[in-house]
Amino acid sequence: MPDPGSEAPDSALPAQLSGAAFAWPGGRGVAEIDLAVEGGEVVTLLGPNGAGKSTILKMLSGEISPQAGEVTIFGGPHGREARRRIGLVLQEPSTDDLMTLRETLRLHGQLFGLKGSSLKRRCATLLESLGLGERANDRCETLSGGLRRRLDIARALLHEPDLLLLDEPTLALDPESSRAIWDTLHERISDGAAVVVCSNDTVEAESNADRVVIVNEGRIVAEDTPSNLTAGLLHDALELDWPNAAQEDVAEIGSWDGVGTVLRAEDQLLLSVVNSAEIVPRLFQEYGSQISGVRIRESSLRDAWFQIVGRPLNSAAGDSE
Amino acid sequence: MIDAAYASFALLSRDLRAVARSRSQLYSSLLFPLMLLALLGTGVSSGLSPTSPRIIDGDYTSFLAPGMIAMTALFSSTFSSAGFYRDRESGLLRAMLASPHSAQTILFGKALGAILIGTIQALAVLVLAVVIPGIDLAWQFGWLGGVATVVVTILALNFMLSGLSLLLAVRIKTMQGFHLIMNLVLFPLFFLSGAFFPLDAVPTWLEVIGYANPLTYAVDLLHYASYADSPDGLIGPLIDGLVLGGLAVLLFAVGLRRAPRAA
Repeated sequence: MPDPGSEAPDSALPAQLSGAAFAWPGGRGVAEIDLAVEGGEVVTLLGPNGAGKSTILKMLSGEISPQAGEVTIFGGPHGREARRRIGLVLQEPSTDDLMTLRETLRLHGQLFGLKGSSLKRRCATLLESLGLGERANDRCETLSGGLRRRLDIARALLHEPDLLLLDEPTLALDPESSRAIWDTLHERISDGAAVVVCSNDTVEAESNADRVVIVNEGRIVAEDTPSNLTAGLLHDALELDWPNAAQEDVAEIGSWDGVGTVLRAEDQLLLSVVNSAEIVPRLFQEYGSQISGVRIRESSLRDAWFQIVGRPLNSAAGDSE
Repeated sequence: MIDAAYASFALLSRDLRAVARSRSQLYSSLLFPLMLLALLGTGVSSGLSPTSPRIIDGDYTSFLAPGMIAMTALFSSTFSSAGFYRDRESGLLRAMLASPHSAQTILFGKALGAILIGTIQALAVLVLAVVIPGIDLAWQFGWLGGVATVVVTILALNFMLSGLSLLLAVRIKTMQGFHLIMNLVLFPLFFLSGAFFPLDAVPTWLEVIGYANPLTYAVDLLHYASYADSPDGLIGPLIDGLVLGGLAVLLFAVGLRRAPRAA
């Protein structure tokens, strides 16, 4: 949750969607989206590709207008002043290969009205804090995907926005790049900026989000803190590779002591259990010939997603938006 | 207003820098018209001995020079406009449109780059045409007024082409599609503009198409200002200016007006 010591830039909520809906040609879209984001808060929109996360983000950024309901940014409608206070990171790195890193930031700063020595200083500070200082005069074409992403983050932070909208900012990045990005973001968040981030990475959401909003098939189906979302889960999660598990076997396992929920997904069963050391031997004793594999881990947000939506996060993918 | 001007200037600087770094674009924009002047000009002058009174002393190379200036403006402006697609495909355009400025300001800044690049390259061809000994430009009303007219003509032509590019670019989603359409439109327009042959000696149907072609008025004005030794047989600066200026203002304004917020 937001740090009580930090203050929002003003009393109005940085971002609010009320009954917002948007349908893309072809039918995919979002409906009845109610979302209020507070200053200093990190809200993660969690869902598979095609769930509607990016559509929600585009409504917040002003790139599209809701076809029903409304969006307000710092208490007002979208417009020039709202955009001045927003920092946006798109799903894909968005850099010009022929420009250097410094030129990229400089152009963006100029578009946001920054000038002279303050622009120069701000560029240098951000490049250093994201580990790009030595590459400042290199062309973007020489950067790896991770470094390009860091540059995107630097660009989004350059004008010191009060609302950051990030579309999968650390997708496919190495841990070092992800950490560098979040360390820099947290500096801005501690100054009161709100962050809305789209992700399908439950580990990242658990680590960084104050609130997780689960988006599935264009609707918000749950929202809470990561700890509250995982509170009802038992300690361990078991993933069993068990094609064509019989319904009576599933029901039987569900009745065992120490077993919480048993969910079936295609060729897998997902079990929430108190102690895997007791359950796994019993499973193999009674059904060993039918189980071809087992994975054991601590229960996490990924399992909360499974329980709420009824299928694993990675199998719910549709076309990207 | 000042903010918008500052942003437009930033975008203009960025596009100019990009062209300066793209040497192949710079060299080809100058070499191609020079090659046509040398090969086509010399070939037609010597091999076909043109007798049209509009081709002074049968010197086809000199007749061709104003057309090559128009062609350079045409292709470099169009090529620069394709930068819109590069920025759209890289996501940079979306990032720019997320700034506080209107889509019109962003696209105006980008169009300024295309206009200036097209104009500079066309003027570079003009300078080469002036210094190459085999090319005789008459400057019938003096070189100062002539050069000023050429500059204004090229600027108007580039504004018109940028407006057309903007109109097409917001509708055609891929760069390949844009180039295909531009080639389909621009090549016939250019061939029928009077740049390669005088329109007053062609069959009526071709003459009608020629006079319906906006480029004809730009080429006519360039001939009038730099090449011709008398106004005879030319449309004249008044009509040329009205058609070219009117279309430049109209297409550029409509192109900007249609600019979408989302890339």
